[in-house]
Amino acid sequence: MIQRYDLLHRGAGPKGTDIARPAEFLIDSSGIIRWVNLTENIAVRARPEQVLEAFEQGEQVTPQ
Amino acid sequence: MVALDRVFFELAGFFSYTFFAQFPITRDFPWANLLLFAAGGICLVVGLFRAFGNARAYRGKIFGPILSTLAILIFGLFSYVLFYELRQVPPSTGAPRVGQKAPEFTLSDQDGRDVSLRDLGSKSKAVALIFYRGFW
Repeated sequence: MIQRYDLLHRGAGPKGTDIARPAEFLIDSSGIIRWVNLTENIAVRARPEQVLEAFEQGEQVTPQ
Repeated sequence: MVALDRVFFELAGFFSYTFFAQFPITRDFPWANLLLFAAGGICLVVGLFRAFGNARAYRGKIFGPILSTLAILIFGLFSYVLFYELRQVPPSTGAPRVGQKAPEFTLSDQDGRDVSLRDLGSKSKAVALIFYRGFW
């Protein structure tokens, strides 16, 4: 699944194993991606408030 | 002993990141740590001038350069990790973008049951998909 989303971080895990790079996606009920956060610094990731904000903005655009 | 408290700032700048990393404002860019390093740097320069200006009183001609080198090494290691190593994230050009259909997947939940993206989407307004880097 990590490979399907192209998020593999080769050799970054313990003993050189492959792990996922940090990433956050917000997907609507029809499976369309509405918001993506791909960080360039592994210490800086999306905060819960940012995800909620993105969700609320998405709701305003397409009220259901 | 005069020079030891100078190096304290550098050590504080280095180790306090574990504390400052808890808050987004000092984690995303290490302002607080850089300030501590700057304070340490100023103290070191002042200390070195004193050590060489009045070496007999301060006995800093030997300890001064040793501790200064140590302080610079600590700062170098901090900068290397914070500004280089943490940013070694591979580009993911193939990652799905906004407006695209999210690749379908099925994973096990905490009870071992299969959960697919389609199931989640049909039951809720939105799905937050978080790839967490941790392995611990």
